Amino acid sequence: MPKKIISVGKKIWATMTGWLKKFWSNFRDVPLISWLVAFSVTVALEIFIGQALARMVGLSKPPALFGVALVLDNPAKFLSAIIYMILVYGLPVGVIAYLTKGVGNQIAEWLLQFPLLLTSVVHLLLIYGVMHYWTSISDYRLLVARLAMISIIVTLSLNVVNGYMGEFSCSHPGFMALGAYVSSIFTVLLFVTDNRFGDALLPAFLGPFMFPVSLVLGGFVSAAGALLVAIPSFRTRGDYLAIISLAFMFIVKSLFENLEVVGGARGISNQPDYANLWTIFVWTVLAIWIINNFVRSTMGKALNAVRDGELAASAMTVNTQKTKMVAFLFAAFWAGIGGGLFAHVIRYINPGTFGIRKLAEVLAMVYFGGLNSVTGSIVGAVGFSLISEALRPLDIFKWIFIPIMLILIMIYRPTGLIAFREFDVAQLFQPKGKKDEEGVDHAAA
Amino acid sequence: MKTKKIFRLTLLLVIATLICTACGQAAQPTIKIGVNAPLTGDIPKVGEGSKFAAEMWLEEIGGELEVGGQTYPVELVIEDNESKAESAASVNQKLITQDEVLAIVGPQSSKQAVPAGGAANDGQTPMVSPWSTNPNTTLNRPWVFRTPFLDSFQGPAVAKFVTEEFGFTKAGVLYDIASDYPKGLADYFKQGWEDIHGEGSVVAFESFTTGDTDFSAQITKIKESGAEFFFTPQYYNEVALIVQQARELGFNQPIVGSDSWGSAELLNLCGEDCYGLFYSSHYLAENPTGEAKEFIEGYEEKYGYVPDDVGALTWDTMHIIERAINECGEITGDIEADRTCVRDALANIKNFEGVTGTMTFTEEGDPIKCALIIKIGDDGSKSVYEQTCPEE
Repeated sequence: MPKKIISVGKKIWATMTGWLKKFWSNFRDVPLISWLVAFSVTVALEIFIGQALARMVGLSKPPALFGVALVLDNPAKFLSAIIYMILVYGLPVGVIAYLTKGVGNQIAEWLLQFPLLLTSVVHLLLIYGVMHYWTSISDYRLLVARLAMISIIVTLSLNVVNGYMGEFSCSHPGFMALGAYVSSIFTVLLFVTDNRFGDALLPAFLGPFMFPVSLVLGGFVSAAGALLVAIPSFRTRGDYLAIISLAFMFIVKSLFENLEVVGGARGISNQPDYANLWTIFVWTVLAIWIINNFVRSTMGKALNAVRDGELAASAMTVNTQKTKMVAFLFAAFWAGIGGGLFAHVIRYINPGTFGIRKLAEVLAMVYFGGLNSVTGSIVGAVGFSLISEALRPLDIFKWIFIPIMLILIMIYRPTGLIAFREFDVAQLFQPKGKKDEEGVDHAAA
Repeated sequence: MKTKKIFRLTLLLVIATLICTACGQAAQPTIKIGVNAPLTGDIPKVGEGSKFAAEMWLEEIGGELEVGGQTYPVELVIEDNESKAESAASVNQKLITQDEVLAIVGPQSSKQAVPAGGAANDGQTPMVSPWSTNPNTTLNRPWVFRTPFLDSFQGPAVAKFVTEEFGFTKAGVLYDIASDYPKGLADYFKQGWEDIHGEGSVVAFESFTTGDTDFSAQITKIKESGAEFFFTPQYYNEVALIVQQARELGFNQPIVGSDSWGSAELLNLCGEDCYGLFYSSHYLAENPTGEAKEFIEGYEEKYGYVPDDVGALTWDTMHIIERAINECGEITGDIEADRTCVRDALANIKNFEGVTGTMTFTEEGDPIKCALIIKIGDDGSKSVYEQTCPEE
């Protein structure tokens, strides 16, 4: 009997995947720009008729995160949520992407004659536009989107060490804390009148302009902190670095707990609200761009060489010590930036936030998304943030579901979902569907 | 061919939608109260206490409230904040924009209540924290309230009590520097004590870090400093260790505590070593009277244990919100107007009789309420020894 069920199940699975593949084949030649246009239309649709449609299908509001939380809260709304998702997202995206693929490919082709920078800017503006209007519907979405983008920065920077360099570093929450505290002190001291640092020293209108300075300052302090870990620990490898970096994380935490000037365990609050969507978006794009270029540069290749065999790399004239040092400081810098942004989104930090749980979260994002891969880190950070937000109604079962998911990923894809893949921006913007290019596609995959 | 398929699919969905429209009725306005609690993470017991108390309240009112002659169904939206600061903020954001709650209860600990309070204030939704004692939670936030008294009241109140009761002049303090509640309270106690006895009268100000279990070095220092007693605003599990170790090291002077001692577990862990000690508290679960008795007995019967202070404070918080809604007089259905109305009512609540004492609220959002000094008797029974009230 069970055998029969299994074989029937397998048959159903095979037909389902067959259908999906067939269905997806319609969309293989849809360029990125068409997808973005389709999403813009969807978002416009949601803004104009989302509320009315939600009422019509029996929901009180458009679901914030694709209806998962809604269904988990109230399974009876399953049908309504599905109908809403199909009518607002699935159907328009599919139809418009399908219909505009011809024009989209022509535009993509036409954009090819311009420098890559222009093409990127066009795409980025579209992406930002979609995000801006998508998050304008609900502040909850806005907050989730901002936190997810910060996760991207932090995850990417950890991937430089844990993925590209192949070491296991645990000090990322410490670097985030350094960045968060330095930039918070900077902005609160200069631009906010509060009971900790007294009157604002500079007029408030300068604040948003000085915010990048505070972030970069935070990044540099983090990098300096990383130097402190690097000097004693890079003579060691593997487990020893993990332990030293873990110790560093606790040192930073204790440091801020014992520093009465910055509030001790009570932390700093009242950070000005500078980290809005576009600020974080710009920083995230910068982080992805710079980190991607870094890992694809000679330095990045040297890093991979060090990971795969330090002795061999050194025999091939790679300066292993310097390579490791630069990568580590570079990663710490970006973690510091992420921490600074984080502090200005939550607008409150305390040492306890940057503890072992933050570490577990960031590590989970890196290994979930995939080692040695920029795309993987983006997928990991966004995916993990969304899953953990959407499953909130499950309470304690969320902490059963997520670990099981991670275990399964570790069994079936030990290096993460999208590991060891290069992130080629130029290829992303290419027109799709030509025979020769498809060949390139497969090779890259 | 393909377009035809898509067309058919669209048609099907439109029909499905129309059918659903027929079955979906216009919902009657519901009063939604959000509960933002740490059901998982570092302090699940605290979240559980709050959740249970809130559910008990819902049961007590029978799931509906009568406002201005009309009954409205009441719904609790309980969300888990994993005892993380960023989650607490997103939960509040979700409750405000997605669930459209009328008011929010929680978060409990200050590290979540401070960022969540910011979200509630920006979203113009009344929020009442039943546990947070950090002044920043409500500072300059007209939409944020709390039900426990502040550390800046409790610390000096304990200092005053010890001075009057024992006539001591030299104090020691032992606290956890990594946890914000003990740290804040220790600071305010020190301040209060030095206001009475002058600079340098706190002869030992010793700290440890969360998770430590050996306090002998700190206790020895306190003993050698000549302190006549020491104040330790720690949680009950640490209190048991601290008191036992102090007695073993020959420190036989009194040890005084704060509201975090107020758990039924304290005496089970500490035993005879804790007999004869004093601590300040919001309420006493033993020998309750009146409404408190009803609450405590009902809770114990339902969930199998005596509620801790967080349960009692949440219970009061729910009733305060209920009263604010009642005083509001009507539910218009316009969520923004209703929220404003509830906030204004909250800021004007006078002499609310709760399980944890009588409270009066002001625009600042902090209650004016009395603290109880509890004495643990020589037979292990707890009794109210004294009541200290803020000066008018």
